[in-house]
Amino acid sequence: MRALIYLMFTQMKNRILSLRKKPGMLILYGFILLMVIGSVLLLIFTGEYNTKEVYADSRILYLFLCGFGLLYYFTFTTSGLATGSSFFTMADVGLLFVAPISNKKILFYGLISTIGKTVIASIFIIYQISNLRNNFGYGMTEVLALFLIYIIMIIFCQTYSIGIYVFSNGNQARKNIVKAFLFLSFGILILSVYMIILNKQVDILEAIKILVDSKWFGYFPIAGWSVMLFKGILAGSTMQIVISLALFVGISALVVTLLTAHDADYYEDVLYSTEIMHQRLKDYKEGRNVSSTTYRKVKIKDNENGFMKSKGAFVFAYKHLLEMKRGSRLIFVDIVTILIAIGAGIAGYYMKDDKSAYIFLGTIIYFQYFVTVFGRLKIELIKPYIYLVPETSFKKLFAASISSLLKPCIDSVIIFGVFALVGGAGIMQCIFMALAYCSSGAVFVGLTVLYQRIFGGQPNRVIKTFLGVLLMFIIFTPSIIATVLIAIFIIPETLQFLYTLPFTGINIICAFIIFYGCRNMLDNTEYSEGMM
Amino acid sequence: MLVVNNVTKKYGKLVANDNVSFCIESGEVSLLLGPNGAGKTTLIKCISGLLKFSGVIEICGYGNKTLQAKRYLGYIPEVPSLYEMLTVWEHMEFIARAYSLENWRERAENLLARFELDDKKKKLGRELSKGMQQKLSICCGILPEPKVILFDEPMVGLDPHAIKELKNMIIEQRQAGNAILISTHMLDSVTDFWDSTNIMIEGKIVDSRKRSEMEEAEEDLEDLFFRITKREN
Repeated sequence: MRALIYLMFTQMKNRILSLRKKPGMLILYGFILLMVIGSVLLLIFTGEYNTKEVYADSRILYLFLCGFGLLYYFTFTTSGLATGSSFFTMADVGLLFVAPISNKKILFYGLISTIGKTVIASIFIIYQISNLRNNFGYGMTEVLALFLIYIIMIIFCQTYSIGIYVFSNGNQARKNIVKAFLFLSFGILILSVYMIILNKQVDILEAIKILVDSKWFGYFPIAGWSVMLFKGILAGSTMQIVISLALFVGISALVVTLLTAHDADYYEDVLYSTEIMHQRLKDYKEGRNVSSTTYRKVKIKDNENGFMKSKGAFVFAYKHLLEMKRGSRLIFVDIVTILIAIGAGIAGYYMKDDKSAYIFLGTIIYFQYFVTVFGRLKIELIKPYIYLVPETSFKKLFAASISSLLKPCIDSVIIFGVFALVGGAGIMQCIFMALAYCSSGAVFVGLTVLYQRIFGGQPNRVIKTFLGVLLMFIIFTPSIIATVLIAIFIIPETLQFLYTLPFTGINIICAFIIFYGCRNMLDNTEYSEGMM
Repeated sequence: MLVVNNVTKKYGKLVANDNVSFCIESGEVSLLLGPNGAGKTTLIKCISGLLKFSGVIEICGYGNKTLQAKRYLGYIPEVPSLYEMLTVWEHMEFIARAYSLENWRERAENLLARFELDDKKKKLGRELSKGMQQKLSICCGILPEPKVILFDEPMVGLDPHAIKELKNMIIEQRQAGNAILISTHMLDSVTDFWDSTNIMIEGKIVDSRKRSEMEEAEEDLEDLFFRITKREN
């Protein structure tokens, strides 16, 4: 046990100490910590609860919990059927599993490490304090409850996934039982929503809210238990808290008992998933798209010439097209485009006024940031070729950015085409919103370049996520202010479809400044393998 | 052909390369030896133009960051870095087009055949084993017919056939008048063809020898390496 405690604390200590060598990261983590502490202090000093008369419907938050729960229920069940899950790393497999230490102690170590990692990863919930207070009137108790529920959910799901793997591995009949149960449970949910719509004559959203708020939904695996636990805490209902916790803890305990009972050897059960997780983590650190490593079979056609007649720096652009073609038959149109287009269809159908159209535009621009800064240009910057090819830095940067610049253009045609089609906004307004979307895409491509210039490498996802919100605020604030002022004072109401034009113009200028300022970047920054 | 003059590379307070100087002439195979963490890979990355440094590095008379220098340079990294969604052949085509090469197809075919990759032309980068990735990485580095070639641990992960082929290729490159720098720990595999060596410890070159000098003094490369690294430690 001493060895395990030593291992755990030494790793933690070294992780913290390693930040000394990365002052940029240290500042950023410090900033994140300050933001969290600031949010908590703000809550304390401005009073626990807000005094607004009307708050948002609590059931909306139940819906979020339910959404996460259903997503995890589905993904962890399917991953349990395929690979299982793991609390361990490959270092644990190589060094701990072969060491003369009891496998129960090692499992306990794995559980504790996972809890630690999950707590850190869930800190974003605390960050939402002010949102939760302003919208729902929640105080510290409720925020902490959400934080704990999320942690419980994640840890339970990993244990549950191992349990499913142990139960079904190598036994098709058992796999079929699990699958049947999974689809049956989702089927019951859909049927219930349908029945509520029929009986209560409400729309689909209201029907889902009624379902999630109902008593019996609390017994639905993961999603229901989480909602029941949260509702129990809100209402101070000991019964609900005890039942939901008993379901989470009871099933986890059952899996752990199965794994460690008698001579049960769980090492083999977690080995495959540990290897898969290791590969995914490696891909993630090296900046590869983790989902692309699912090793989907790609058919290579005879005489396929994806490079056409490209030469020099522009070969990067053609290479990206070829890679995109292999990722999706429709090249630029991938699952993200389709999902946003569906979102556009729903949003456009339900929200018919101009303001809502701009809210929709703002929302998809927010998502666009993540799609762009984790895109192909980033992958190119963590491979040596772009630095080695004998072409000017600017040409190479531009060529490697072309696919990322074109994607939002194609996406915008589809997304705003759908939006216009369902009547979300007029055609002219949709065209100018599409232009705004393209221009923000160019800014985000510029940010990828800027990250490399400033940090000397590509920051990891957590940092990019936090930085992104900050940078979006800095870059977009002047353009949004200019847009509002021009809209109010200059543009007549008959030409209101031009409202986004200042935003588009400023974005294009910003993107140009970033590219021009970083034109020699490949000569001046250092190549670093993987993300920082 | 390759001049490294007073090159210093620092990571914060850590001096990875400390005032390193040497040069490699045309038709010379030079070894860069040293224990782990001596700064060999850092130096090779500096020469390749992948890292910033202070000092001077010239490739065929051009500063290593210039386009002319890049045209003359071939770099085979320690860890192969391939595109997972390009096939073996497409990697060759990519390099040929990026370097604007002419009449490269036959050469590419030959290279792939030599490393037994000719039957795997349609395999994607992600489908290759580590050894195959290393072979392809070597082919990519050699295809532009560089005048200065940097190999960072090129034998790691290769099967005996590929090691033999790589040795032959290095000898051919030397005969063609190219300058070759090899960083390796596998001393046995390079004893046949090296011309000079620089031994690095803690970022500094602590000894430089020519093969002719050592042969005159009846010294053995491995003995020299162990003697120096032991003494320094």
